[in-house]
Amino acid sequence: MLVLSLETSTARTSVALVDQDRVLASASLGRPREHGRFLAPAIRFCLEQAAVDVDRIHGVAVGLGPGLFTGLRVGIATAQTFAAARHLPTVGLCGLDVLAFRVRYTRRPICTTIDARRGELFWAFYRSSPGGVQREAEPTVGRAEELAAEIEAHGDDVLIVGDGTLSYRDVLAETGAQLAGREAAWPDAVDLAELALPRFVREETVRPERLRPIYLRQADVRIGWEQRGRLRGGVPNEAAG
Amino acid sequence: MLVLGIETSCDETAVGVVEDRLTLRANVIASQTELHAPFGGVVPEVAARAHLDQLLPTIDTALVQGGVHLSDIDAIAVTHGPGLVGALLVGVSAAKGLALAHDVPLLGVNHLRAHVEVAQLEFGDLDPPLVALVVSGGHTSIVVMDADGTFRQLGSTIDDAAGEAFDKIARFIGLPFPGGPEIDKLARDGDPTAFDFPRAMLHDGTYDLSLSGLKTAVIRDLRRMEAEGVEPDLADVAASFQEAIVDVQLIKTLRAAADEGLDQVVLAGGVAANSRLRARFTAECESNGQRLIVPSIPLCTDNGAMVAASGANLLAAGVTADVDLDVDPSLALTG
Ligand SMILES: [Zn+2]
Repeated sequence: MLVLSLETSTARTSVALVDQDRVLASASLGRPREHGRFLAPAIRFCLEQAAVDVDRIHGVAVGLGPGLFTGLRVGIATAQTFAAARHLPTVGLCGLDVLAFRVRYTRRPICTTIDARRGELFWAFYRSSPGGVQREAEPTVGRAEELAAEIEAHGDDVLIVGDGTLSYRDVLAETGAQLAGREAAWPDAVDLAELALPRFVREETVRPERLRPIYLRQADVRIGWEQRGRLRGGVPNEAAG
Repeated sequence: MLVLGIETSCDETAVGVVEDRLTLRANVIASQTELHAPFGGVVPEVAARAHLDQLLPTIDTALVQGGVHLSDIDAIAVTHGPGLVGALLVGVSAAKGLALAHDVPLLGVNHLRAHVEVAQLEFGDLDPPLVALVVSGGHTSIVVMDADGTFRQLGSTIDDAAGEAFDKIARFIGLPFPGGPEIDKLARDGDPTAFDFPRAMLHDGTYDLSLSGLKTAVIRDLRRMEAEGVEPDLADVAASFQEAIVDVQLIKTLRAAADEGLDQVVLAGGVAANSRLRARFTAECESNGQRLIVPSIPLCTDNGAMVAASGANLLAAGVTADVDLDVDPSLALTG
């Protein structure tokens, strides 16, 4: 069973082609705001290097966020049309779950974080369970101080992963929790594929048009006069949610 | 050759299919007007979210309408600028997914150019040189398409686009969004000479336009009347405001045509749906002996057929894009 996996909801973009437990090819880019330019060439690279014909792909897995709005829509839009065109099933997963899956062998309670910009982060808490991790509650968005208070309420043996540990190192370190390093800072397409594989096997899939981003913030509804002004030049800024 | 075109640069999620460059097979638009109406203007993040929700169903509908399967499509065209960056990215990403899935060429279309080239679907191959006024909520530009098919921009608005000015005045006098059609309707009962609103930069020797002074003058007059306790005739205000916008665009565009020695004029973009603009251009071009080319209204407002048509021209010229095609919110109209 061959899965194409796309993860574009954070500052890191990654693509993987995974055949059961074998990673045939993967590619990732750490430059932020390059999702749109990098993703499709990376898919082509993985297919070509693994010498895999698109006919052999069984399903498409994609990260649904929460994360950077524009980035995660790049991944979902690409996954939707690619899968629809090949009549493939899709699985969409929460990036916070993918981060927790990465550190699933720990015995500590896990807190996964994703930098939400504008002084906030997304987070969720997990406990280890047979065969993986179990999320305790719905993902949340808030300030680092609010998260720190929640971590302290969990006791001092929490393991924090995700790029929140890079952006808010000082606030989070004060809680006494352990902070994972850069190796678990961003959800990765390889982990995403591994986490999605059992769902393809069990046919817990959705049709591509049912894939929807996880938006934890309302749309910023400031009218786009200024942004329309950009049609005549200017620099876009990126929002997250 | 079948080309599928995807348009998501602003607030219309649109997909078209064109056959052999000149034949329209499908043109489907999922409008977001109702989503943006409460805000009185296009909200970029709302637009991007809606594009993602609507794009795949819109592609499906266009394929059904065109009576074609995705596997029959020879190339995927997509607007990659100018426009709202988040909105553009949805369309471009979707286009890449399709191009990768069926290993067909990707075509990067300039939205402004496509507004002009769409005329080929109703008038046959354009026979440049010609001058075009591209006018919508996001742009107001006077451009020349040279005999070799390349584009040159002669001038553009230095502040508000015409559609933007319509929206802002409509909002000020309490009309719903989008303002253009509402002002057009209201103005039919009004006297276009009732108010003498300014026509800026008319004799400055450039082909640039400025509409923000006009907008300010309308608002100032309305406020003055309110302070004096005078009830303004809004139909007269709308008609006079619209007349000033039309005048500026008509005079500058036709002067460009005269200066460049061109006898063909194309009206393009969403504001080309304005009935007064169409009527004044029709009358003026007729008396000048110029040929006026105005696409029907569904092909004037943002649509996917224009992207497919422009893309088909690129394909015929052998100009394909790579899958690293980037969006460019301020893509220029040159070449
Ligand atoms: Zn337009």
